[in-house]
Amino acid sequence: MPDEPANAALTLEEQLVAYLDGELEPEESRRIEELLASDAEAQEIMQRLDRTWEMLDELERHEPGEETARSTMEMVAAAAEEEVAGLRSSAPARRRRRLALAAGGLLAASLAGFLVVSLLTLDPNRELLEDLPVLENLDAYLEVDDVEFLRELSRQQVFADFDDADAGDEES
Amino acid sequence: MVVSDSTARRYTLGDPDVRLMLEVRDDSAAAFEELVLRYQGRLITVLDHVVGNRDLAEDLAQEVFLRVYRNRKTYQPGAKFSTWLFTIANNVALNALRSRSRRREVRLQTRDPARSGVRAMEAVLAASSGQMPARQLDKAEMRDVVRMAVGALNDRQRLAVLLSKFEELSYADIAEVMDISPQAIKSLLARARCNLREVLQPYLEHGERPAAEGNGGD
Repeated sequence: MPDEPANAALTLEEQLVAYLDGELEPEESRRIEELLASDAEAQEIMQRLDRTWEMLDELERHEPGEETARSTMEMVAAAAEEEVAGLRSSAPARRRRRLALAAGGLLAASLAGFLVVSLLTLDPNRELLEDLPVLENLDAYLEVDDVEFLRELSRQQVFADFDDADAGDEES
Repeated sequence: MVVSDSTARRYTLGDPDVRLMLEVRDDSAAAFEELVLRYQGRLITVLDHVVGNRDLAEDLAQEVFLRVYRNRKTYQPGAKFSTWLFTIANNVALNALRSRSRRREVRLQTRDPARSGVRAMEAVLAASSGQMPARQLDKAEMRDVVRMAVGALNDRQRLAVLLSKFEELSYADIAEVMDISPQAIKSLLARARCNLREVLQPYLEHGERPAAEGNGGD
């Protein structure tokens, strides 16, 4: 089916459709209004175009669903984790990669935080408070795979200074 | 695409969703979630009518958001957020349609014949013989007929119609989404609306319904 105008009549219909859509310049609109006032056939064409366009209001519209949104967030969180894992396995010495890693980790942590909050429906405040120390340092935890190593850091109270040390490292 | 500072400022000030996307660029998960909540239903609505399958539309909408996430760092506010988002959706939908075309799958295999959009407009018109008795227009039936009429448009006409009807995008915005000129959009939409009128007008005035699938000689 061609998209191009097939005949002169379509030019009138083009103008009528653009008029209905509010896409004509004021001068063009005025000319169409004059035509409609004096030409019953043009008026009928426009009314038919308008009526059949309104019928499209019957088409289904999908309301946003929380379940679908959650599914999308989970999918993107998984993609963020993959992104972080991919960056972690590549050359860690380069500053731009470290920045990307930090950003990816932050988003992964944030998305993970969203999912945690979404799932804690029974007593969200209590559980969230319990998890707060983990959430606060999740991006740091994502840097390290070894749990025993994290425990050792905790025993030595190294974590308290982690952020400052990391910031200083980025600037160097 | 390079976006001038003044353009970026204009869209940032004028479009709250652009501001949300800029927060996403800075890794805000809350802003991303807000955009998902605001746009997922709208995307599914348009994509459903573009590809003619609800499940596929949901998958494609997710793919769109995945691309938004993956492209967040290079985002520049050079258009309304909805225009940018539906440009991505258009690319995703085109890929899906091409892929399906390559596999030579029959479009829209559902039990409901009215959900089928495979038939060309000419076939719909040829099949719409026999005037039905005058009656009250049934809502569900009308929805089926409208869906069939929209499904019979070609892909470009259908997308332009959906963006105009559901998203109320201007010709300039639709042109940007579809990467053609606003003048071409004017012709495209006029052609599409003439085609819709040819199918819907007989139904509206005389209850003359396009024939159900299987009667069209295909």
